[in-house]
Amino acid sequence: MALMRKPGSRRGIFRQPLQPETAFSDRISAYLALQMDSLKASFARIWETPIASSLTILVVAIALALPASFNALIQNARQPVEALETTSQISLFLKPELSNEVALKLANKLKQNPTLIDASLITKEDGLRELAAYSGFGDALAALKSNPLPAVILLKPKATDADSVSRLLIDLKTLSEADKVQFDSEWLQKLQALLAIAERSVTAFSLLLGFGVLFTVGNTIRLELQNRRNEIAVVQLLGATHRFIRRPFIHSGFWYAFLGAILAWGMANLLILGVRTPANQLAELYNSPYRLSFLRLTDTGILFSSAILLGIAGAWIVVAHFLREIDSE
Amino acid sequence: MIEFKHVTKRYPESGEALSDVSFKIERGELTFLTGHSGAGKSTLLRLIPAMERPSRGEITLDGVTVQDLPTGKIPFLRRKLGLIFQDYRLLNDRSVFDNVALPLLITGHNPHEVGRRVRAALDKVGLLKKEKRLPLALSGGEQQRVGIARAIVHKPPVILADEPTGNLDSELAEEIMRMFRDFNDVGVTVLIASHDLPLVRRFSRRTLRLEHGKLIEGG
Repeated sequence: MALMRKPGSRRGIFRQPLQPETAFSDRISAYLALQMDSLKASFARIWETPIASSLTILVVAIALALPASFNALIQNARQPVEALETTSQISLFLKPELSNEVALKLANKLKQNPTLIDASLITKEDGLRELAAYSGFGDALAALKSNPLPAVILLKPKATDADSVSRLLIDLKTLSEADKVQFDSEWLQKLQALLAIAERSVTAFSLLLGFGVLFTVGNTIRLELQNRRNEIAVVQLLGATHRFIRRPFIHSGFWYAFLGAILAWGMANLLILGVRTPANQLAELYNSPYRLSFLRLTDTGILFSSAILLGIAGAWIVVAHFLREIDSE
Repeated sequence: MIEFKHVTKRYPESGEALSDVSFKIERGELTFLTGHSGAGKSTLLRLIPAMERPSRGEITLDGVTVQDLPTGKIPFLRRKLGLIFQDYRLLNDRSVFDNVALPLLITGHNPHEVGRRVRAALDKVGLLKKEKRLPLALSGGEQQRVGIARAIVHKPPVILADEPTGNLDSELAEEIMRMFRDFNDVGVTVLIASHDLPLVRRFSRRTLRLEHGKLIEGG
């Protein structure tokens, strides 16, 4: 009682006979007991019809697993692409006749440039040493009379979007020391566009399949309502409110969605497990530390909460319609 | 407690089932409602819990005007009533205990009290030892007693019984009627529809007689 008493409602209390303090806690415990009983009873009912129920749960699970696993795969693809984005760099090839001092001066000047994070010089000699070390042509290179490599300044742009990068590239090309400017960004942009399309598709897909969950649960509840028509008529005669009649069906909707979500979670992770081995091999070939990950905690949360929401909504809509129908009879 | 004022119920297919019926039943009365089948007894009883609405006239139950009660308030009206049917209307997939507990679960009583009151009601109808049975495992008389226990478990001020002894032999019928008289003795208003005139006469209480939808006696 005390919890419900609003400040300033004293008069109301005095006008009505005071209820004993236990009444409110009694009502709460009765309410909770009712909810728990109904949840248990709904679960028992699902358990009693294993074949029909598991069909519903399976359909719900598939409708949930598809967007969940596609989403997880795209999230997985996004990770290495984002990593590429931050490592994107511009190679500024300098004219071959420039001395190391001039090159170093330019590199230091570029370091001050606010649109760049970093600028590092690879001198002609450094370049040759690297090439000898990594290419395996060391002996052949040693036989060369002069160093054919130009000096290069590696630049890291601050902004990696297409507009800022292309503006930066134009600026760099106008430098008198510049011979050639190179930025391999187009493929990255295409990849990002593809990912964006895939993400949109998964969203549209999720919406459609979400309706699938709604209708599957709704239809199952509708059949259950038909089967229990007599029981509903009896409890209505005994003074049951719509809320009382609705409760077990809402709980059934909850169970279908919840059990479907558990199964969907397993399915999605199984699917990822199937792709994991070849994906990780691919990553190893590229010397990448990146590994395919299972459904993340937030995605799992979204999966369960949206499933439960859809299940309850599906049940609610069907029961509301049914109750309107019998009321008008 | 129950008052009908010029109540008429007309069905589109079959015409008038009740014509201009007026009567008043005081608190604590036991009243019989008799007439041939089709005279309108069931229709009259169905109007009180708002299972149907009258075409004309006014019905009050315990001070509440029934005929234009909004749908959302009907459940609370029905909780004032204990309804007993000829065909028992039990839930056959639930135990005797669970059937009798229904009105208490609907009103949200806590589990301890439910158990206590259900057993008290079953004790009154002599079925305490059969609480775990399913209704179909019981005889007709026992099933009707389960129906009666369910009707009294929430201690309603009014009991309405529609042909409660229609499917029972005369000995069981008399036993059931005596049960209603006992409830009446503790102050419950009881209205019993029955076409069993000899049985009704033996109890010599006020009797409303319907014929072709008209109240011809006892109003």
